[in-house]
Parts: sequence; C-alpha cells; structure tokens
Amino acid sequence: MPPSPSALAGLVVPYLQRQSWFLADMSRYDRGVWATFQLADLEIVADGRPGMASVVVTVGNRPFHVLVGWRDAALAPAMLGDHQGAVLGMCDDGSGEVLCYDALADEELSTGLLAVASAGRESAKRVRLVQSLVSHAALVYDERLFMKSYRVLEPAPRPEIELMERLDEVGFQHTLRPIARWERNGRDLALVREYIPGAVEARLLALTSLRDLLGRSIDDDQVRLEEVGGAGGDLSSEARRLGELTASLHLALAEAFGVLALRDAGAAPGVAIRVHGDYHLRRVFRTDAGWIVGGFGDDPLIGKLGEPDAPREPRFASPLEDLADLSYSLRQVAAEAVAAQPAVTRPRAERLAKAWERRNRGAFLSGYLGVEGVGRLMALNRSEAAEAIKSLVAEREKPA
Amino acid sequence: MVSSSLPVTGDPRWYRRAVFYELLPRGFFDSNADGVGDFEGLRQKLDHLQWLGIDCVWLLPFYPSPLHDGGYDISDFLTVAPDLGSIDDLVALVEDAHRRGIRIISDLVMNHTSDQHPWFSESRSSRDNPKADWYMWADDDHGFADARVIFCDVEPSNWTFDQKRRQYYWHRFFHQQPDLNYENPEVVDAMLGVVRFWLDLGLDGFRLDAIPYLYKAEGTSCENLPATHQLLRRVRAEMDAAYPGRLMLAEVNQWPSVVTEYFGDGDECHMCFNFPLMPRMFMAVRREQRFPITEVLAQTPAIPAGCQWGIFLRNHDELTLEMVTDEERDYMYAEYARDPRMRRNLGIRRRLAPLVDNDRRVAELLYGLLLSLPGSPVLYYGDEILMGDNIYLGDRDGVRTPMQWAPDRNAGFSRADFAQLYLPPLMDPVHGYQAVNVEAQRRDPSSFLHWLRRMLAVRHQYPQFATGSLEVLPADNPSVLAYVRQPGATEVPDAVQPGLDSAAGAAGGPALDNAPDQAGGPGGAGPDAAVLCVSNLSRFAQPVELSLGRWEGCTPIELLGRVPFPRITAKPYSVTLAPYGFYWFEFEER
Repeated sequence: MPPSPSALAGLVVPYLQRQSWFLADMSRYDRGVWATFQLADLEIVADGRPGMASVVVTVGNRPFHVLVGWRDAALAPAMLGDHQGAVLGMCDDGSGEVLCYDALADEELSTGLLAVASAGRESAKRVRLVQSLVSHAALVYDERLFMKSYRVLEPAPRPEIELMERLDEVGFQHTLRPIARWERNGRDLALVREYIPGAVEARLLALTSLRDLLGRSIDDDQVRLEEVGGAGGDLSSEARRLGELTASLHLALAEAFGVLALRDAGAAPGVAIRVHGDYHLRRVFRTDAGWIVGGFGDDPLIGKLGEPDAPREPRFASPLEDLADLSYSLRQVAAEAVAAQPAVTRPRAERLAKAWERRNRGAFLSGYLGVEGVGRLMALNRSEAAEAIKSLVAEREKPA
Repeated sequence: MVSSSLPVTGDPRWYRRAVFYELLPRGFFDSNADGVGDFEGLRQKLDHLQWLGIDCVWLLPFYPSPLHDGGYDISDFLTVAPDLGSIDDLVALVEDAHRRGIRIISDLVMNHTSDQHPWFSESRSSRDNPKADWYMWADDDHGFADARVIFCDVEPSNWTFDQKRRQYYWHRFFHQQPDLNYENPEVVDAMLGVVRFWLDLGLDGFRLDAIPYLYKAEGTSCENLPATHQLLRRVRAEMDAAYPGRLMLAEVNQWPSVVTEYFGDGDECHMCFNFPLMPRMFMAVRREQRFPITEVLAQTPAIPAGCQWGIFLRNHDELTLEMVTDEERDYMYAEYARDPRMRRNLGIRRRLAPLVDNDRRVAELLYGLLLSLPGSPVLYYGDEILMGDNIYLGDRDGVRTPMQWAPDRNAGFSRADFAQLYLPPLMDPVHGYQAVNVEAQRRDPSSFLHWLRRMLAVRHQYPQFATGSLEVLPADNPSVLAYVRQPGATEVPDAVQPGLDSAAGAAGGPALDNAPDQAGGPGGAGPDAAVLCVSNLSRFAQPVELSLGRWEGCTPIELLGRVPFPRITAKPYSVTLAPYGFYWFEFEER
C-alpha cells in the first residue's frame, strides 16, 4: 500500500515552497496565490519499498510536477547521502513509517523512471542527474538517452516536443531524436530523447575561438578583419556549417508545418515558416558528426492566473527571426568574452570582438544561403538579408 | 648469391606493438666519406635507434635510381644503389639490426619503374618486343580521363608521348615513372620475384608505395579497383606461406573507409597508414579544439583482427592535405604554410619543429597524441631531436637533409667535403646542426630526445596503447581531448614467444618489453586495465570535468612520474592541465 494521496500532497507543498525553481517560477505572481495549492493528479509509478509517485499540484492554475520516492525510514537517510535537502518528510505506507523524498535524489528510482516514462520500452543501468533547471531536471541514462523531467507542466504537446516529433516525421537528421514521451491527463510529464556524449554547446566553441583571438598579440592599431580570421581558433568554417544546419532545419520545418505568406511584410519580405523561435548558441551543439539542434526551448508558458491555459499560438515568422536570434547570440558571446577581459585591454578586445562577430555572422549567413532550396524561404539576396538581419539584431539589443 | 640473414623470431604480429622509424639511408650516416649516407653508416648508428626504443626501421628506397622522385623511380629492383653500398652491406645491416631486436622493412614501388629501367627501355624500343606490353601504351592521350593528376603542380597529364615508340605511356606520378601493366601476367610474376628476392635476404617486409593505382579501368578513377585488391591478396598469401611474420604496410592516401579495404578480411595488408588523422592533429592544436580529431576517429571503421594502423606526424613527403576539405586546406595553408615555398602539390613540405614554430610544448603534445592514439607510431628521422627543414631546396629535399649527429663539420654526418654532400645540412641559427644535434641532446637529460625515449619506454609498457580499444570521453571543454585505451573485449592476446625480442629486453636493449610479465607499473593493474589520456589542445591552461564513475574508488596514477592523483568519487572528476599539457593515467585500486 502506498502512502495516501493526501499524505503525499501534504508533504509536497512545503517541499515545493523551499525549491528555488518553484520560487523562481512563482516570483511573478502575487504571494496570495501561493496558498491555493491543490492536488491535481497523482500516479503511483512504483508500489512497495522503495516506491515512487508522480504528483502534480496546482498553484492557481499552474501545475507543478514532483516525483516523490520513499523508503523504509530507517534505511533511507543512509541512501540519500549528501542529498538531505531532498527530504520531504515522514509518512505511513500502511506497513510502517517511510521517509519521503525527491525521487531524483535516488539513483535506483530515477533509473527506474526511464521505464516508466517510456512505457517499458527502454531501460538503463546507470543514471546521472546533469541539470536542475526551473523548467525541468535533466537525466542521462547509460550515456545514451536523455530525459527531461518537467517541473512546470504544460498542455500536451509542449511546443518543443511537437517540434521534435514533427521534425522526426519529415526525416530531419540533425537533431536528437525523440524516443518517448510521458503524458498524463493532457500534460507532458517527461520527454526521452537521444543523448550524444561529447557534444559541445556552440557557445563554448565560440568562447574558445574568442579566447584564441583575444589572447593573441596583435598591434592595437592593426585590428583588421583578415587578422581575425583564417587562422588560429577561427570559428568561421564552423559558423558556415552552422548556417547550413539552420537552413536544413528551416527546410524541414517548412515541410513539416507548411509555409504561410508573411502578413506583415515590412522589413523582411518573403514567407513565414514555423521557426525555432529560441535559436541561439546554447541550442546548437557540435558533435563528432557535425552540428545538431539540441534543444527547442521550453520556457514555461506564461498564462494569466485564473484563466484556463491558453493554447500557445504556433509560432510562424520569417526565417530571418531565427537568423537574427543566432546572430544576436554571436554578439552576446563576443560581449561575454570582452567582459571577461581586464578593463585596460577591453577597448582593444572590443574592436577584435566586433570584427570576430562580423566575420562569423557573415559566414553563418553564407552557409545558410548556400543550401539548395533555401531560396523558397527567403526572397532576399545576400546583402539584403545581411541588412535585414542587422536591423533585427539591433532591435534585439534595445533594452526592453 | 649472398647468404641471407636470419629472420627475427617472436610475435608474428609484432608490427601491432612496434614503434617504427622512417629514414633516408642517403641521409643518415656516411661511413665512407663520399658525401652520401650508406648501409654501413646506418649499421654503425643502430645504437642510437636501439637506445631510443625503435622496433622497426623503414628504409626509404635504396634501389638504383636516377632520383627524379627521391628514389621512388627505380631502375633496378634487384640490387641496391651503389652509393649506398652493396647487398652484402645491406645483409650485414639487417643481421646486426636483428641481433638488437630491430626489424627492417623497405620501400617497394610496385606501381611503376623509372623510365631508365631496362624493362622500359625495351618496352619503348618497338611495339612488338617481348616487353612491349609491360607498360601501358596508347595511340592517344584520351584514355582513363577520370583519373586525377596527382602531381598536379608539375604534370599536366597522366599521359606522356614517347618519341621513340611514337605512342603515349601512362604514368600516375612524374612522367619519368611509367606505370607497369599489371594486366600482363609476366609483370605480376616479375614483381612477385622481386618480393621473394628481398624477403629471402632477410627483410622483414615492405612499405608498399602508391598501392591504389596498380590496376586501371576505363570509366573509373583508376584507384582502388577490385583487381588491385586481388593482387594484394595473392602477394599476402605468398608471404604468409613462405615468409610468416613479415609485413605489408600500405600507403593508401585515401579516406579511412576506403583504406580499410586494403586490410581485406585480414588477408591483404597487415598495416595501412592513417592519412586523414595526421593533418587533423595539427588542425586541432591550432583551433584549440578536439573536433578535427574526434570527427575523423568517429569515421574510422574497425579493422580486422591482426591488422594495425600506421600513424605519423611527419614523413618524407609533404604534409598531405588530400584528405581534407578545400576549406580545411585553405585553413592549413594559412596556418602552417604562409610562404608559398612551403607548399607542394596539395600539401605542406615542412618538418615537425618548424610546423609548430619550434614550440617544444606543442611538439610534446603532438607526440603524446601520436603515441596514445590507435595505431603503430612511425617517427621520421631527425624529428626525435626536432630537426628543422630548408624550404629553399627543391621538391621534398627540404625535409631530407642530413641527420644532425653532432656540432662538428657536416653535422657529424659525413667526413666528405662540404660541397660533396648529397644535400647541405641545416645551418640556420635555430634549427642548424650546431644548435640541434644528437650528441648535445644525449648529454642533456632534459632534452627532447630524452623525453621522447622515456615516452616510448612508457608506451611499450602498456600494450593498451598498441592494441586496445579507444573510447572518447565526453568533456564540456572543447579544448580538452580525453580518451580511454582499454584491452577490447574481442582482443585476443598474441602469443609472445621467447625469441629475439625478449633477448633484447633482457640485454637492456630497446624497450621491447611487451612480454606480459614486464608490462604494467609497480602495483598497477597493468596491461589488462584502462589507460586514460587527457590532453589540453589549447595554449592556455584548461580545466575539465570528466565522468569517471566506472572507476569510482580508484586512484589515477600518472604514468610518466607515477604520481597518484586524488581518488575518483561518484562526482565528476576534475583535472587541470597546463598549456598544451597532457596526462596519461592508469587506475589503481587502493
């Protein structure tokens, strides 16, 4: 007999109120809302000792997901080791006292979670918790599979899941293939996808390139574009390949979701496609087999409290929006590298970083435009596209 | 007929664990003061190779030749060039080397001969002589139009018109090197005769030059054709039957997926060079990120049991850039060959030291990679002391200057008059023989030469480096390359028979200690365990966190100094590396 739902919910609420991810998500709401906890949904996914339940509670109308594990009260503390912060509290499972805790702190239970989330299709020997973010916790199984266990839930399908599944259907190879999703009562609880060990975020490669550039001894007054490129840690060939990847992503998105005429064809004439929408250097990864799109963004839906979850509008926009997002991201990473320099060398670093950004933005665009078929997504020539991106980047730079 | 030398006994798959040393007999040591290195000179310098820890010497072509292509244009397959000595000298060299546990292989060019070879003289003399079909003749130069021109800097076409026979002949390389016609069974028989001749004299095998081009067919690239593989299987079968334990090492400058075809099902070549890996090691260091290396490793297929890759940093040829994309080639030129004189065909003609701007840390890192990545390392003579090059010499002569033995006259290479030397030794203040030579580096315990010797000794203690599997470990820091070498599950240990190898080991000779009881460090798990290699490809210090969970509780022992590092826990293992630094670890349960 598992612990009763009310007992579990009673333990989950105070636990949630201590979690930084919960506090971060709730910070934009009036504190009065915080008292409106409600048990929305509960499933016992492993009965016995150890056991595990998937618990969804709503605060206002925001659903939060917690995986609660329990073990014999005498044995659990030793198992939890350093993770004493994961403890929820004691309760009774019918045959005595058990200690309840966040199941992600329990290797055995989080290993078993893979079978739960994949309806028994996948299993693993080892698991490691790699990330704990506001929106989800990330687990890696056997260095082979990756699970996002969502914390703030959304109506299924979450946009990233929908994107991944549709891209998979049209045969887009350059991403992490979705393997399984765990859905209950119209909400996505977890996503299982491929994991590629050794993949490196584009941002880190960009910083490696900038480190080489800024660490070089070049005379201050000779900072020219050609010195930035063609040598050392030059990123431009990778930026070009990244452009190619982006074009193939857009072509696949156009195939999967169709193409619309752009309603407001002001700055950027052409068509609208389902864009990535949150495309930056942390979303793309270099692997031993080239670039992949590693994520599609999963910021929690910001709905107004008290209203039902508004279905998110599928995001159709000019492909230039993604290009501008990534170009802006190049600017940000360049700024990050400059900021890490001591003040005295910063002016010089700024000049170099600017040239670096220009070079790689250009290579990225060239890669994009060089892909066959991309002409039907964008009716601009290279210099028009470059101008359009430039102004979109400038927009992004304006303080909100 | 001269007496043949004794073959080396021992492990028939010795080449999988061997460290090779490629040298130019003309450039190594001159024993008779005629300005040209010779076999006797090389024999006198075997001490150096044994001291260094070399297992096998690869001799660049020593046959009579007009030397239009560094001796790869052979005018007689069945003797040696007179300036190098006699066949007796060669046999004496081989015997002395074998006594020291060092094997000797030679270059063999099957694809073509010199235009001075008597076979060609006869073939071109008329259209109906007995050797008329030994070469590839045609009335026009239209045939095999899909075959690329390899020496594109100097040869406009693969066909050249012969005034005497009034026909065109086919050549894949210089026009002084007509291709043999392997469709003619007499040519096959003649070449098998050449193979037997040298093996009978005691050579331990061949480095097979330009092997993909033996057979040609209209409408193909005339490379890697099935008939070529069939011929190699025939040569291999002959060698296995009559000369077990001898080596066929193929030069196939192609992508790994094509190269692996030359292993056949383990019934063609024992070894092939891994060409694509080499430029990418340089590229990875300049870009300060591992992807150029891991990408090519990921594309390298598994090879049949008993086979091995040959890997190298530099050799007698240019740093070939055939196996990179155009864009990568532009990058490599920009990085490593700013002066057009440094370029040749599709490559860069430079030695290791100048390529890395004489930065010893980079040279050490590159050797660290070479000695720990899958394959048998092939060193190029002179690179053990970080010799330089002379880009003002023609063709590839810039990297073929005399070995620098001592600060004495002519680099201690020869007592001949300076003007008599086959090539001038390097004399510039940085790489010249007064600064860079074996004698000085032997005397200096912190020299590169001593460092390399120590590295080779450590490598020999861990057969994982030679025959283990490779697994690249994920690391967030793109400037760090970490991999594990481990005896593979399918790895069948080779029988190590008592023989010359162990005798050399017992005599304190080169580190031929691949016998199981000598492998492994004090208290270490030794040859059965994993070795972890972590390299920093950046010129700045780098941290990295590795997940070493499967060795939880073990202590990593750094192999060079046997320094214990902090114990591995369930948490990510943190390692910090100096600029261009690298570590090799084994794991000890303490």
